[in-house]
Amino acid sequence: MGNKQTIFTDEQLDAYQDCTFFTRKEILRLHGRYHEMAPNVVPMDYTKDPDVKLPMQLIINMPELKENPFKERIVSSFSEDGEGSLSFNDFVDMFSVLSEMAPRELKAIYAFKIYDFNTDNFICKADLEQTLNKLTREELTAEEITLVCEKVIEEADMDGDGKLGFADFENMISKAPDFLSTFHIRI
Amino acid sequence: MSYHYNEGFENPDYYFSETLEIDRRGSSQNNPFSHQTPDDPSLRGSYGERSGREQNYPVAIPMGSMRPGSEYREDLPSRNPNGNFTDNLSFEPEPDLPYTPASTFHQLDYPYAHRISSGSEDSFVRRRNRRPPDEAFLTSSSVFGTDPVGSEEKDLIGSLANMSTSERIKAIQKMPGTMKKKREIRNKVLKEITEKSRHRGTQLSCCTQCLQDTAVSFRRFGNTISEHFHLLRVWHKTLKIIGAEFGTSVLSYFIFLKWLLNFNIFSFLINFSFIAIPQFLAAEPNNLSFTGLELLTGAGYFQQTVLYYGFYTNATISKIKNGPSYNMQLAYIFTVGVHFVICFLILSFSMANSFTRNFINPQAYSVNASKLLCTWDFNITNEKAVKLKQKNLSTQIKEHLTEVNREVVNFSVTQRIVRIGVHLLSWFASLGTAVAACAGVYFLSINNLELFVKGRNDDLESQAAMLVLPLVATLLNTFTPFFYSWLGRMERFQTPGQQIYVTIARNIILKISIVGILCYYWLNIVSASESQCWETLVGQDIYRLVLIDFIFCLLGSFFGEFLRRIIGTTVCVSLGQPEFDIGRNVLDLIYAQTLTWIGILFSPLLPGIQMIAFSIVFYVKKVSLMRNCQPPRKVWRTAQMTTSFMFLLFCPSFLGVLCVIGVTVWRLKPSEGCGPFRGLSSMYAAVSEWIHTLEHYTASEWVVWVYHNLISSELFFFILSSIVLIITYLYWQIIQGRKTMTKLLRKQIINAAKDKMFLLEKLRRLQRANRNPSAVRGQGQQRSSSPHHPSRQPAQQVPGYPGEAFDRDQNTSYTEYPYSAGISSGTDFPLDGEPAQPSSSGMSKAVALALRAREAAQWDDDDDDEGYFQP
Repeated sequence: MGNKQTIFTDEQLDAYQDCTFFTRKEILRLHGRYHEMAPNVVPMDYTKDPDVKLPMQLIINMPELKENPFKERIVSSFSEDGEGSLSFNDFVDMFSVLSEMAPRELKAIYAFKIYDFNTDNFICKADLEQTLNKLTREELTAEEITLVCEKVIEEADMDGDGKLGFADFENMISKAPDFLSTFHIRI
Repeated sequence: MSYHYNEGFENPDYYFSETLEIDRRGSSQNNPFSHQTPDDPSLRGSYGERSGREQNYPVAIPMGSMRPGSEYREDLPSRNPNGNFTDNLSFEPEPDLPYTPASTFHQLDYPYAHRISSGSEDSFVRRRNRRPPDEAFLTSSSVFGTDPVGSEEKDLIGSLANMSTSERIKAIQKMPGTMKKKREIRNKVLKEITEKSRHRGTQLSCCTQCLQDTAVSFRRFGNTISEHFHLLRVWHKTLKIIGAEFGTSVLSYFIFLKWLLNFNIFSFLINFSFIAIPQFLAAEPNNLSFTGLELLTGAGYFQQTVLYYGFYTNATISKIKNGPSYNMQLAYIFTVGVHFVICFLILSFSMANSFTRNFINPQAYSVNASKLLCTWDFNITNEKAVKLKQKNLSTQIKEHLTEVNREVVNFSVTQRIVRIGVHLLSWFASLGTAVAACAGVYFLSINNLELFVKGRNDDLESQAAMLVLPLVATLLNTFTPFFYSWLGRMERFQTPGQQIYVTIARNIILKISIVGILCYYWLNIVSASESQCWETLVGQDIYRLVLIDFIFCLLGSFFGEFLRRIIGTTVCVSLGQPEFDIGRNVLDLIYAQTLTWIGILFSPLLPGIQMIAFSIVFYVKKVSLMRNCQPPRKVWRTAQMTTSFMFLLFCPSFLGVLCVIGVTVWRLKPSEGCGPFRGLSSMYAAVSEWIHTLEHYTASEWVVWVYHNLISSELFFFILSSIVLIITYLYWQIIQGRKTMTKLLRKQIINAAKDKMFLLEKLRRLQRANRNPSAVRGQGQQRSSSPHHPSRQPAQQVPGYPGEAFDRDQNTSYTEYPYSAGISSGTDFPLDGEPAQPSSSGMSKAVALALRAREAAQWDDDDDDEGYFQP
């Protein structure tokens, strides 16, 4: 127990618990994971909220993310400075959203961010093409890709603007029950 | 949706209007909700399309805000130190805003919070968004002086402070902000709460402080407790590995298995503590010898143990004279009864939960879109698995495309007849197999019974004979499914989904009919036989069935997966590694669980045995999966399948078991010579006798009253069921109403999208007018001279613009141009009059324009007559 106190104060742990879907133990485990990525940079003592950020390159090498085709997108969606480096807060945030407990609505917001490659707040055709390439390791021909993307937009675009806004995306997600279980990374 | 209006997609202004100004205004400032400031240079290589804009997510779709004036205020800049911005209005003429560059766009808290549905904790956010549009518009003019952000945040904090602790935590957890922001809000809320309590009275502050401290320490204590429970969450790592390598679908089998295991642990604990432990105290010595073979047959030595019904005493157990006593009869019946009630509740709740989560709208499942955007399994972290999954996905997409291109095959009449004939034939064959299997099991069991009743010699032969029935039943259960899946392949269903469901249905029919015939045999024939203790006989039968089923499950892993892998990788390489058959394995689990439930009355410790069996199965299956199998190739709609399995566990299985238990308890006569209910006319008679004795005590009158008026009264149940029926009907009606509502809302979305398109079009014109006044003036003249062809105008206006988009538009039912004609002729656009106006008035002009356009559109909508606009 004494060990616990040196990493976070009780107030900090309470705050984390109130703001994420994790228990204390899981937060401490997350800290351990964060620490082990860069033991020299990340201090063990977090009671004073040190301003430490780990670059994206380190984080996408975590075993949980390493093979994920969307790893860069995931990390940059959660990075506060937008450059892909994550502070411990962002790190906890990321796994909180990806945890089992997070509600569909919250997951949908971040999934939308992840799939929005060009960050224009819409999932447009170009985003879909990138997604498709990542999903299939670019094995499809250009024609097939266009066909699929057109179909997707045709199906999911409710407001007829030719791209998927968040409302379209959320609407689609609500009809895909598997999303909740697949948009989930166990830590 | 029939509207595929791609203009927005091709229209460059659309981008400008929604995005470019964002980066100008937000670039200098750190927006907590936009995690995407200009890209990391390393990234830009891989995402060539990215343009280094700052990303602002709130633009969820501001269509709702297109009502006249609503939310406009949010676009007006304000200088708020910690402000950032949300619901940006989707069409701002970027060059016209003089204040954009330096402005920090204020935010109103959590852009998405209003999307977070359900739960009272966020209703406040919604309330805010529902502010009447006019009011919002009016305030917009006064926004410059005030600080709306502060008040919004205050509102939010105030409403958060008014919530209960758990609600507040939930609300904060759901906020899609960064941790920093969330913590800030949380701290402010906490401060607010303490301030409030201080306001209430300083003399009480000590007391409240004390209370708060206690609350905090109580919460911490709760946390520590829950942490210790978390330690009990075994197999977390195993599940993670399975998920990492095989994805969610295979994982769902293991989660189901774990769930059943927990269920059995719970049943075992209840039965053990309330039935078995008291019985130990009153146990008679066991004088039967133990040879080891009993482990397999469950007979012999075990007959005189707490494993079976027959061993339990009907006496009242009391260790101390005149001390408290324990009535075994009542304990037995109440434990089993309460156990089933709890099981019923757990099952129905988890089933209902699963339904609400996963069957939201199964008809509207958009195949392509979700295949692309929801299909990636973030659980998978194994390199090989990822590659395989990607490969499978690309082949699937290719297959799907070829299917689509092939069009729907029209079968001729003869072909159709042949198909129906094949289906009928295979149904006939499968039902015939089930009937034959049942008949076989039935005659075999009757033969067996004679053997049991006739002689009780402990030789090997009779013991082997005992094993024949469970062996045959399990063999039938194991091998008929192969026949069924072969049938399914022969039938050539149009979709793989159909094949899966039909095969599962047939398997369930087979399993349930075998269990059904066995129950008939137990309840009608064994109970009527002149056996000494028929309940124990039934218990033994079930024990053997459970055990043999378990052994076959292990053998199935060995032969079905291990040998199959050996064959697939060495002898017949084309077969490849086997896949884990989720459907078959889950059905096996359901079958085993059904047996356990039936057996609980006859052999109270059966859940314990099943518990051990399931944990072994878990490890064996896990090892076999890791060693032998490859990840599933097909996308398996896990959530829906899990729900249907849950449903199967509930509907034929659990409800069937309840019927069997009900018949046993109410109808059948317990055996005379053994068990807790010996000498009674039925098991239930124990309860009525107990009530009868209670009538003598005044202290327990209410129990008697409850019994007479509620439990044994038909009237009560009649009223209860009528109420339930009425409520069901009511809910059904509500659902119907909601469906209509959904339809209307959907229409509204489409209309709102039209509005948006239309306004954008106006805006673009205005922008162009500002940029190039003379050209517009010319166009304006042109327009006024040719009002008869309003629909051609945009193309004429913008000669360089790709005309294709407009041509496409004309094919849709979307009628934009009449609107524009209406406006230009009816409301005399300012764009002609003041084309070169300084851009400082651009904002108000845009708002006015939007308003006017909106009015015109509504007017037009009401009128619904296109000819009206023609002079």
